[in-house]
Amino acid sequence: MSAERERRHADLERGLTYAIGGAIWLWLCFRWLNSWLGGVVVGPTEPLVPQSFATATESLGATLGAVGDGVPLVATGFDLVGWAVGMVGFASQYGPQLAVAAWLTVVLTVISTLVGLVVAVPLAAARVYGRVTKYVAFVYIELIRGTPLVAQLFLLYYGAPFLSKFIREVPGVGQGIVPAQAVWIAIIGFVINSSAYQAEYIRGSVESVDPGQLTAARAVGLDKLGGIRYVVLPQALRYAIPSWTNELVYLIKYSSLAMFITVPEIFTQADSIGSETFAYTNAYVLAAGFYLVLVVTASYGMSKVEAEVAIPGVGSSDAGR
Amino acid sequence: MSRNDHLLTVEDLQKSYGDELVLDGIDFTMDAQDVQVLIGPSGSGKSTLLRCVNRLTEFEGGTISLDGEDVMAMDVNELRRQVGMVFQDFNLFAHLSARENVALGPRRVLGKSKAEANDRALDELERVGLADQADSYPAELSGGQKQRVGIARALAMDPKLMLFDEPTSALDPELIGEVLGVMRELADEGMTMLCVTHEMGFARQVATDIMFLEDGRLVEHGDPERLFTDPRHERTEQFLRRLTELHGGGSES
Amino acid sequence: MTAAALSLATADWTYVWQNLGTLLRGVWPAVRLTGTALLAGFLVGVPLGALEVYGGRRSAWLARKAGVAVRGTPILVIMFITYFGLGLSPAFVAATAALGVRSAAYQAQVFRGALQSIDRGQMEAARAVGLSKLGAIRHVMIPQGLRRFVPGFQNEYTIVLKDTSIAFAISYTEIFYQMYNLIPQQTTATPELFVTAAAVYLALTLVGNRVLDYVDDAFGVPDGGASQ
Repeated sequence: MSAERERRHADLERGLTYAIGGAIWLWLCFRWLNSWLGGVVVGPTEPLVPQSFATATESLGATLGAVGDGVPLVATGFDLVGWAVGMVGFASQYGPQLAVAAWLTVVLTVISTLVGLVVAVPLAAARVYGRVTKYVAFVYIELIRGTPLVAQLFLLYYGAPFLSKFIREVPGVGQGIVPAQAVWIAIIGFVINSSAYQAEYIRGSVESVDPGQLTAARAVGLDKLGGIRYVVLPQALRYAIPSWTNELVYLIKYSSLAMFITVPEIFTQADSIGSETFAYTNAYVLAAGFYLVLVVTASYGMSKVEAEVAIPGVGSSDAGR
Repeated sequence: MSRNDHLLTVEDLQKSYGDELVLDGIDFTMDAQDVQVLIGPSGSGKSTLLRCVNRLTEFEGGTISLDGEDVMAMDVNELRRQVGMVFQDFNLFAHLSARENVALGPRRVLGKSKAEANDRALDELERVGLADQADSYPAELSGGQKQRVGIARALAMDPKLMLFDEPTSALDPELIGEVLGVMRELADEGMTMLCVTHEMGFARQVATDIMFLEDGRLVEHGDPERLFTDPRHERTEQFLRRLTELHGGGSES
Repeated sequence: MTAAALSLATADWTYVWQNLGTLLRGVWPAVRLTGTALLAGFLVGVPLGALEVYGGRRSAWLARKAGVAVRGTPILVIMFITYFGLGLSPAFVAATAALGVRSAAYQAQVFRGALQSIDRGQMEAARAVGLSKLGAIRHVMIPQGLRRFVPGFQNEYTIVLKDTSIAFAISYTEIFYQMYNLIPQQTTATPELFVTAAAVYLALTLVGNRVLDYVDDAFGVPDGGASQ
């Protein structure tokens, strides 16, 4: 009886999540396509619903917020309800701007994670199997992991002017769909940061594979490289999935720090909306909503990947920052 | 007799870990189709001896030759292609199904096609009675089934010699029989086997020779009946008596 | 490399050296903020973690969802909400609230994991000697959970410490803020200043982690910890 109810609740919750998530992603994809095509349907940052809708919800929100004023608790309750209603109008008006900015956040995150992985694999290999390189990799990893990402970004942007200059002079940068130099510096910063973390995750998962596996691979006649490639890595990469999820989530959130180096990602956009409207809380909460959608989607996607490649007995261990 | 006439010749084998000598002048030979059983207390060097044969452990002194060829002169991967090994704790590749476990060697080491390697794997699984578990992953198999897959994996490389490193000591008692059954069939088919095991029933019925190792030295060896009924050394007798008390005699277990 | 460039670099390091005092004036605020945020996170996070494991269906659900929302929001956004949006002031309070709330969400998760890693038999044994469920949670489960908690806490310390640097954006006078304000007087020293600030964080991370290692040794259960 109670188990039956619990299952129904879970189904309902999942259904709602899919419906809302699906709607948001449909809308996001529409906004992206619309903006790439130069605003064929509506202007790239122009809302789909008329301004009057936003005005109406905002005044409705204000009215609701005024209900019960003077009565403690009731007043607070209606304040919250009124704020939430007003927030709908606010989101309808400023959502499109953040949607366009969200694309940049996605690009920043995905490129940085992937390139970070490419850098991380040799780093991890050096850390596990290297002689001298072991110490080089160790120092790099600990240095990066022990210092704030803001400091790394600032150092690259303000402390290394030659880097900005060099990137700016690469033909095509800042033109068309190729992002401006600040974005490239942000990507470089995220790659450096992420590679250090990913190297540690990979090292951890390689070391969590039972040494007997490599022995058995050698006993069948595989050489060390073959044993690592066909036996150790396929297992280690599966062990690493939960940490990758964490890494992706981490980068999505910390890509907001690119705001400090003028990259027009979600939070930069939200901040300028805030100072334009003075509705700071609304602007930041809306930004938080966008990050949350990206984070939840990333976790969900990675859990699908994990389930897809899951093998009984090759367990996943929780790890990550 | 020249060493070339034997399948395996071990001469004056020396191996130490740091200051501790774990193998001290081991000499023995095996001919094709021999089943050589190694017994001895734990720490006596049995597993180390086994691992020297396929060079999972490197040794300092003496020579080991396989089919007349010095193993130190052989390419180590080539050597391991010719010598199959079965581990105490199975060491099945955790991310591969039973079939893929067996097919990995033929595919990646012998360079066979995927289809060929697969067929071979199914044949070997059939041979150990596990054709119906071909698509199960190690975590889904019982200990006895795992070890039979381990044997199939070694057989798929067409080894000249099979090494068994306490293949049943990680198994629950009721699962030991199925593994020993497979090993007995192999022996009947003429496989050359070097086994570390304390299954005295198996040793007595199947072994062509039993060696007793203690403190890295070969104390004595002989055919099973003689060793069991008339051990020459006090130490051998004591060890066999303790084993018998533990495992309930030299009859089938 | 010309002599001029070399002397310039020396001049920049001299500048850093002369202003090291200013930079280090940011250390105490950073440490203080780390401390208050971790404490707030601990006080809120541990009960929340216990609630997720032992709470009723509704309260556990709520705790879980709130955790997801907070963990899915960038710390920069949370900090701007507490400072600019909710208008908490001074900056120290806003920063503590932001880092504290975020840390609570993570510590709840770490503590939940610690509780769940405890052998089921412990609960059964506690009930078998006659403890109530609440008594068992309080006297048997939570003490063990806390001891397994230290390794996860170490990670959390490093994250919070590094993220105090983000409070420079709301003008909290921590290390990064001090350093940033040293740039205008000698812009050529920018890289040197950043490297020095990074070194200070690194030192704080390392020292803090050694202290927590010591705590783990002192309070961890022999062989009972989940510290792998």
